[in-house]
Amino acid sequence: MRSQKPEQASAGADLTTVRLSLERIVKRYGALCAVDGVSLQAAAGRLHMVVGENGAGKSTLLRVAAGLVRADAGEVRVDGAPLRPHTVREAISRGVGLVEQHFALVDSFDALENVMLGAEPLASFGRLDRRVARERAERVSAELGVSLPWEARTDSLAVGDRQRLEIVRVLCREARTLLLDEPTAVLTTAEGKALYASLRRLVERGHAVIVVTHRLDEVRDHADEVTVLRRGRRVSHRANVGGDASLLEAVARDAMGEAQELRLEARRRNVGAPLLELHDVHRAPTLRGVTLTVRAGEIVGIAGVEGNGQRQLVRVACGLEAPDRGRVESAGVAVVHEDRERDGLALDASVRDNVLLGELREFSRRGLVDRAAVDREARRRLEILGVDAPDRDLVARALSGGNRQKTVVVRALGRLPRAPVLVLAQPTRSVDVTSARAIHAEIAGAADRGHAVLLLSADLGELRRLCHRVLVLAKGRIAAEFAPEASDVAIGEAMLGVSPAGAQP
Amino acid sequence: MKGDKAAAGLGTLTGVAGGWLAMCLLVWAFGESPRAIVGQALGGTWGVGYGVGQVLSKATPLLFTGLAVDLALRAGLFNIGAEGQLAVAGLVVAGVGSRLPASTPAWVAVPIVLLLAAGSGALWALLPAALRARRGAHEVISTIMMNRVADVAAAYALAHGLALAGTVRTADVIVGARFPRLETLGLDAVRGSSVSVAFLVAVAAPFAAAAWLRRTRIGRETVLVGLAPEACAAERIPVARRTAVALIASGGVAGLAAVGPVLGAKGYYEAGLAAGAGFGGVAVAILGRGSPLGLLAAALLFGTLEQAGLAINGRVPMEIAVVLEGIVVVAVALGDARVRLAMRVRASS
Repeated sequence: MRSQKPEQASAGADLTTVRLSLERIVKRYGALCAVDGVSLQAAAGRLHMVVGENGAGKSTLLRVAAGLVRADAGEVRVDGAPLRPHTVREAISRGVGLVEQHFALVDSFDALENVMLGAEPLASFGRLDRRVARERAERVSAELGVSLPWEARTDSLAVGDRQRLEIVRVLCREARTLLLDEPTAVLTTAEGKALYASLRRLVERGHAVIVVTHRLDEVRDHADEVTVLRRGRRVSHRANVGGDASLLEAVARDAMGEAQELRLEARRRNVGAPLLELHDVHRAPTLRGVTLTVRAGEIVGIAGVEGNGQRQLVRVACGLEAPDRGRVESAGVAVVHEDRERDGLALDASVRDNVLLGELREFSRRGLVDRAAVDREARRRLEILGVDAPDRDLVARALSGGNRQKTVVVRALGRLPRAPVLVLAQPTRSVDVTSARAIHAEIAGAADRGHAVLLLSADLGELRRLCHRVLVLAKGRIAAEFAPEASDVAIGEAMLGVSPAGAQP
Repeated sequence: MKGDKAAAGLGTLTGVAGGWLAMCLLVWAFGESPRAIVGQALGGTWGVGYGVGQVLSKATPLLFTGLAVDLALRAGLFNIGAEGQLAVAGLVVAGVGSRLPASTPAWVAVPIVLLLAAGSGALWALLPAALRARRGAHEVISTIMMNRVADVAAAYALAHGLALAGTVRTADVIVGARFPRLETLGLDAVRGSSVSVAFLVAVAAPFAAAAWLRRTRIGRETVLVGLAPEACAAERIPVARRTAVALIASGGVAGLAAVGPVLGAKGYYEAGLAAGAGFGGVAVAILGRGSPLGLLAAALLFGTLEQAGLAINGRVPMEIAVVLEGIVVVAVALGDARVRLAMRVRASS
């Protein structure tokens, strides 16, 4: 362990206690070495952040630590003793809890039932003891500084609540080491801050916390120590990060090599004819009268709190759902759906099939697929963003989250010559900084070539950087329109429906 | 993926081992020596030319029905209706094939009966396919029910004019529409057995189907729809149409299974002909794991078991072979991800 400054000490936490120790972990997937000899330690009272680009091996490492994935070499030690057998059950009983990117909650259960699931306190005759469970859950959530609607059905909870619920569930099983995989990917900025406040409380009570992220601002604001991974290897480890700007720059360099900030000059020229128009579109259950126009050469952003009709807006705009009322006029749409695993990819089909999904007609003659043409086009598309697939026969499931995202993005981009409109929902979700910049450049380039772009994003910075106009979607309607220079506060208020512009029945 | 393969391999292994053990115990319980019975079973199948011919003859319809079930599985469907599709096709082929003018040349008659076999099998799958596409009705239920309808329809048709008076069999199919037995083509080794040219067609069929799935747009899209219906729908692949066509094609292939027994082995249709070949196809498809060679190996295995049952029938009940088949199928099915996929409850279409 590196030296730790005494002023980092917080009440009740013994800094020298290493809770979880990963030693020279190796994990291969076929030809791909996802993790290549990485060591990592989680100490009590420390928030350890792990950063790296897509495919750096961050998620795999956490899954190994939690007993979900067996390493090919190396050892996982909990409180000094090897994790054996290497199973989730053993990891949980030894106090290691993982919150993954995709929530593992039962939608039809209420919140408390999800907390109880798998660790049900029992009353006499094997009945479930909700009272005991609730007391425990409330005690844990009080420690976190959060409150949850225990009786509400889980699928009615907002994303932030669902994530808090996952954390409460893990903590209710006496987890002393908490592992979180990109916890803020689905959260708004405010929710993210609240999450880190909760994590800080846990750390101060002596928990060990590891957070995987690729947002460097979070590292700057919250990390006690940071490990940088690149292509499965540990590039660096720094014991004290807090607030040190130069360190942060060094971390950024470690994570992505040299990269320059891409500047997109303001371009409000060449805006042409409308290519996508929605007139008072209603669609049950979430859209309640959306009107918007996107013109050739224009990038229009949609901001909004998740669950305000984004998914259906995309589906209506690209014609997958017909509006109940109102009308949609478009000149042909290429689309990136928000739920990439369900709507975007055939996970068990090859990368080649996925990157051309639904377009075989263009690559067939008299019903026969021209396989050479398919392969040529697939290779061309995958090179646009440098999708990291050892070969094109690999199933999409074997790709990391970021590479999956790039695959669906290049599919939409590859379709552009035939579809003048581009609709993108969260195009840079779970993509690293370098790739996000490349995606942004492609989007801007498409607009410059005269395409109309509708961009839905949870990241206001992304909308600002790219869009000519930002519309706020709240409660199924366009609540307000902003110039990209508008303040966070103004846009945020419109998103929550409190600004005058957002006043509505 | 790797885990799936391991589970599948383990399933096959435990199935064969468990089946073997159960067979030995059963044989022993009947007071016979397992070693002697196995010797007799092997001798009666692969040990003699007639036995080999009979194995191939029994494998012929299984290859078609196995392919039929496999095709449906590729599209994410479970076609349990091959039994009924085969029966109806057999009835139609024999009914029409025996009424063609006796002098019809083979180049006219053979295409007619092939089209009839495929067409009537496909027709029998049409209703389940339409229900699935329009209403999301689960094809397992509807194809099973169509099996029952086929049972009754076949009995009715035979009783009301299709069967020769006083029998439950149709008249002979005209010579021009028949698939000659291999023994009549100078292959003396299989003398007396009922294996016909239809076996060669049956071997070729899975390879043709694999090429169709791989090389044609519709075939390729069918496979993708089977893997990820939501993603395909989002990219405008007509999911309902692809699955419906796959189920109808599956029925057509199951109908072709009638060619072996009706036009090759027997030359007519009778009540109960090739009964069990439809359900046997489910086993063949699961064991064959979606590859043409796998289907061939599985069909030969089950053909062998069937014939072996007959060979040992004098000393122990032939049903021992059926027990063996059942254990193999269950063990292998447990390891097959495709079956789990096709059987999972569908929320809606």
